[in-house]
Amino acid sequence: MRHRFLFEQMVRRELRQKYKGSVLGIAWYLINPLVLMGAYALVFKVLLDIANIPDYPVFLLAGLIVWVFFAQALLAAAPSLVLNAPLVRKVRFPRETIPASVATVQLVTFVAMLLLLLPVALVVRDSLDPALLLLPVIVAFLFCLVLGLSMLVAVLHAHFRDVEPVLAAGLLPWFFLTPLFLPVEDFPGIDDHELIGDLLEWGNPVAPFVDSVRTILWAGEAPDLAHLAYVAAAGLIALALGAVVFRRMERDLAVVL
Amino acid sequence: MSDLAAGEIVLERATRSFRLVHERPRTLKELAVSLGRRPASEVPALREFDLRVAPGEAVGMVGRNGAGKTSLLRCLAGIVPLDAGRAECGGRVVSLIELGAGFGQDFTGRENIWLNGALHGFSREEVEERIAQIVEFSELAEFIDVPVKAYSAGMFLRLGFAIVAHLEADVLLIDEILAVGDESFQRKCLNRISEQMEAGATLVLVSHDPAAIERVCDRVVVVDTGRKEFDGPVAEGLLHYHRMLGTERGASLSLRPHAADRTVTITELEIKDAEGRARHMFRPGEPLHVTLSLAGRAERAVVAVEVRDRQGATIFRTDVTAGAVHDTLGATFAIPRVTLLGGDYDLVAGVLNQDAPAGPTLDRVARFSVTHVSDGEGVADLRGSWTFEPAQSGSEVLR
Repeated sequence: MRHRFLFEQMVRRELRQKYKGSVLGIAWYLINPLVLMGAYALVFKVLLDIANIPDYPVFLLAGLIVWVFFAQALLAAAPSLVLNAPLVRKVRFPRETIPASVATVQLVTFVAMLLLLLPVALVVRDSLDPALLLLPVIVAFLFCLVLGLSMLVAVLHAHFRDVEPVLAAGLLPWFFLTPLFLPVEDFPGIDDHELIGDLLEWGNPVAPFVDSVRTILWAGEAPDLAHLAYVAAAGLIALALGAVVFRRMERDLAVVL
Repeated sequence: MSDLAAGEIVLERATRSFRLVHERPRTLKELAVSLGRRPASEVPALREFDLRVAPGEAVGMVGRNGAGKTSLLRCLAGIVPLDAGRAECGGRVVSLIELGAGFGQDFTGRENIWLNGALHGFSREEVEERIAQIVEFSELAEFIDVPVKAYSAGMFLRLGFAIVAHLEADVLLIDEILAVGDESFQRKCLNRISEQMEAGATLVLVSHDPAAIERVCDRVVVVDTGRKEFDGPVAEGLLHYHRMLGTERGASLSLRPHAADRTVTITELEIKDAEGRARHMFRPGEPLHVTLSLAGRAERAVVAVEVRDRQGATIFRTDVTAGAVHDTLGATFAIPRVTLLGGDYDLVAGVLNQDAPAGPTLDRVARFSVTHVSDGEGVADLRGSWTFEPAQSGSEVLR
């Protein structure tokens, strides 16, 4: 916490750089999931007609904002150390603050979207459930996951410059393999491919987060214990992994950048 | 973490080498390709460097480009880790290795003060306390709320230095930055550094400017090819450094490389002390000898010697009829006392054949420096003695 002030300043700097010269500013980041939601609703509800899900827009949005947060943070974090090379080469300071401030800026956007979606979900469902109290917990672990992976990709990219393109290429199939538009058990072909179903649900670290946030916001229920345990474990493991790898590879940053 | 006193600096057998940039694998493919090959060649930047600096000392670091000075500073600042050995500073370290490195271009001057304070590990309250002083020192009061991308290079420099100079440090590491900026701001910076030193800070200053080092440092370390070549008092250190440069690149430069049409030229120009040793640094009042070698053929040759200041203005010129030159002729111009004050000067020499005058006559130039003194400024050494009359007779007259 000694570096709280530094961290605060870095987040401000990141925010300023991100929104400089854009008229709509933060609104762009709110529009992105809305557009995705519109397209998904059109394809899966209207055209393919396979999504027999009530309040489908809320269902979609609850998952999409989690994904957008995850993907945007990683994409922004990967080149962050390289972009701040002059700083790293000339000043001694805790370099974790660079990817951490990038992830935090994305968190701010995510929370803003969450706060916009929340009243909509409440009105649509017309009930106030105690499960909502779990939402901050899930968000906290989600941030651990994003923070850990942000540090990981940032420091890896500083050493090997093809991490970012690989990540960018990987995020697209990852997006489609994340059960965003239907719950895994609703996939028409899922009964013949149980293994794939399990993999989609548990092999993808983002999926349980998507599922949990959706369960709370859309269904108004508390996620089951398995989900909660998974979410906590994934968040903490990612954070520990990111911190350890970062610490190790950070030493030579001023030289490789 | 460290057992050093605040302001103490220790380097023990500090060693660091760098791989040439183009040989380092930058992508996974290059890494895969490079596996199984012999390791790439490494360029040593520091070799078993030992240095101890006591709290409150001011050390000037000189050396040629690429000698390892900046590497040394970056290792001391903890930016670059050592391969072997130890490099540590006690207490709070503030480094100024590149101006404006941590500036956000879209931030205003004021916001950048916050950011830079934070980067150097200062708290909100500590920055708050100093912000008024920083703004005043930078002389940017009316621009302080303008984004720095609109700043000129000079304004950038002012702000960058003002910030660092007002963050109280136990150890100050400064690289070369005083070379930029106008004379009056440079002086202001040096004064501010001196103030910090009086408050007890330890200073390591890397500079090519002997004047700056003389003004604030009491010890000089000469670095060459990653090793410590000299460590001692300033005047001797700078002499050592200049001698090193002198032997390295020859005493003088030719102004007229294609002088084929000339019947007589100066082929060598050397600046020496009274004992005949090549030298480039003099104290005011010391003797300075200029030795010239002439080549060619002329019955009536006129030799000219000129001293110019840094701006190229002539501050002294003399010429003499040397007589006949047949093939070669040596000449010495002995100045018994260098009556110049601190600074860099060019010594220019030329020769003219009076029977076949052709073009400008100046052939060669060599540079020398005069050390600064505490009791005089300017170009000419007109230092004298003062006497003061007691005032009572004057007051009698008034009455």
